[in-house]
Amino acid sequence: MSSVYEEGENVGLHRFALFTACCTVFLIFVGGLVTSTESGLSVPDWPTTYGWNMFTFPLSKWVGGIFYEHGHRLVASFVGFLTVILAIWTWLKEKRRWVRWLSASALAAVILQGVLGGLTVLFLLPAPISTLHACLAQTFFCLTISLALFTSPGWKRGLPVIKREAESIPLQTLCAMTTGAIYLQLILGALMRHTNAGLAIPDFPLAFGRIIPPFTSDKVVIHFAHRLGAVIVAAMIVWTFSRIARFYSDYRLLYRPAMTMLVLVCIQLTLGALTVWTAKAVTPTTAHVATGALVLGTSLLLTLRAYGMVVVKVPANFRGAL
Amino acid sequence: MHKRLLFAFSSILLLVLAVSCGGGGDKTTELPPGAAPAVGGPAAPNATATVSGKIAFEGTPPPNEKVQMSSDPYCNMHAKDYPTLETVKVSDGGLENVIIYINNPPNATYPTPTSAVEINQENCHYTPHVFTMQTSQPLKIKNSDATLHNIHAFAEKNPQYNVGQPLKDMVNETKFPNEEMPLPVRCDVHKWMGAFIGVFHHPYHTVSKGGGSYELKLPAGKYEVVAWHEKYGKQTQMVDVMDNGKADLNFTFKADSKPTD
Repeated sequence: MSSVYEEGENVGLHRFALFTACCTVFLIFVGGLVTSTESGLSVPDWPTTYGWNMFTFPLSKWVGGIFYEHGHRLVASFVGFLTVILAIWTWLKEKRRWVRWLSASALAAVILQGVLGGLTVLFLLPAPISTLHACLAQTFFCLTISLALFTSPGWKRGLPVIKREAESIPLQTLCAMTTGAIYLQLILGALMRHTNAGLAIPDFPLAFGRIIPPFTSDKVVIHFAHRLGAVIVAAMIVWTFSRIARFYSDYRLLYRPAMTMLVLVCIQLTLGALTVWTAKAVTPTTAHVATGALVLGTSLLLTLRAYGMVVVKVPANFRGAL
Repeated sequence: MHKRLLFAFSSILLLVLAVSCGGGGDKTTELPPGAAPAVGGPAAPNATATVSGKIAFEGTPPPNEKVQMSSDPYCNMHAKDYPTLETVKVSDGGLENVIIYINNPPNATYPTPTSAVEINQENCHYTPHVFTMQTSQPLKIKNSDATLHNIHAFAEKNPQYNVGQPLKDMVNETKFPNEEMPLPVRCDVHKWMGAFIGVFHHPYHTVSKGGGSYELKLPAGKYEVVAWHEKYGKQTQMVDVMDNGKADLNFTFKADSKPTD
């Protein structure tokens, strides 16, 4: 792959995109705190805060649930501000048109996310809007990770070439499937949180003492679907990791995120269990949300790198010669 | 190569954005704002009979959940006044804060009281904790605290209500057009602050006071009387009263009884 930039050019933009992605993880954690502490409506107005301009609301009044909700609004504003800078910077300095448009879509996503956040307050947390708000948060996080990756010097210099014999399910496809499965699982998780179905099945690992619970309400169905989704996601991640550990372990750009994803999903499963066992205690519940985002982000990174590494397909009998 | 990458990346994003459109939620039936239950009929009969009694409590009252007010320095100054929630409040063997009402009021048109019912936020505590009112009767909400509160009514049959009161002595007024029993109220800023309202289209309802005593004024007739408590749920008894008559009707809630709908 030919280099798009001179080496070292625009490292600042990459670092800034990376910083924005890190701040987004923090924002997702803070957003999770708002839901976990049930503080979403502790500030009933928007975009003002109890009639004050959001940025001049006195610190002394950040009490009780206001601390979480108002804090979330300010962190979100900061991430929005970073995204504006990122989009302008990318638009001015980036030569690849599709990267420029990617930064513009990140800006559009963060604006829409802010509006959805406001609507969810004004309409008193309707589940569809709140769920969409949670899903768009993950989508925006994916955009920031992508921007950080595409602006990185390593990506611009060109990723290593991989020579592999043809696979029935190519690695790129497998990684994309895993990312898709994780995203669907996060949607289910968001739906579960915002329909208050987190304890619809109060025991774990069994469900009402059984493998398959009685489906007595929509909440039980949503909750059980999320548990089933966890099993599928875990299996997909183990499958992806096994493939990479077996055939691509020499490629650190693939092996490291695959290993990280495996560790993260173990943590995530533990946090999910703790969420039920502690009856949705604030810390494990919020950490479960943030770790979910990290699992998705890592999987997306892995997928993009898998697509970015040129795979040369060779016949199976040539393998020994590689 | 770049086109391939762009295509792959766009496909993932499109998938992701497409599934973002999902959603769902609880199905709640909301009557349109302003729609009151049909209460057509003759004028309300005179309530000359008296039904009174005691909401007795058997057993040792369970300890109420402790309140942690440290998240707001102002509230924390009053923490010693309200160390626990008042879920189960027993005095002289009687259970307080029980809503008593009738299920089958005479078919009549009941005038809406013009006097307001008041709920006050004082020392980070709702006063009263449980009260009743009529549909479309004004409810005055006062903030007597030098801190911020939001009053959030978790209505299912009425429009939801969530209003902030950042300043001391602020007063807001609202009305609930539809019957709703119970209608929980909470402050999202201070999680321990909770209250319950019973909203009825008729005037035959009350709340048990000290010692669990109560008194209901009713027209002559045979009624199904309900006693509702936030922890123990409902109990029902029949009563038959004559004009100017009196009837004793006692209820008993047990400490270990399971909540009922």
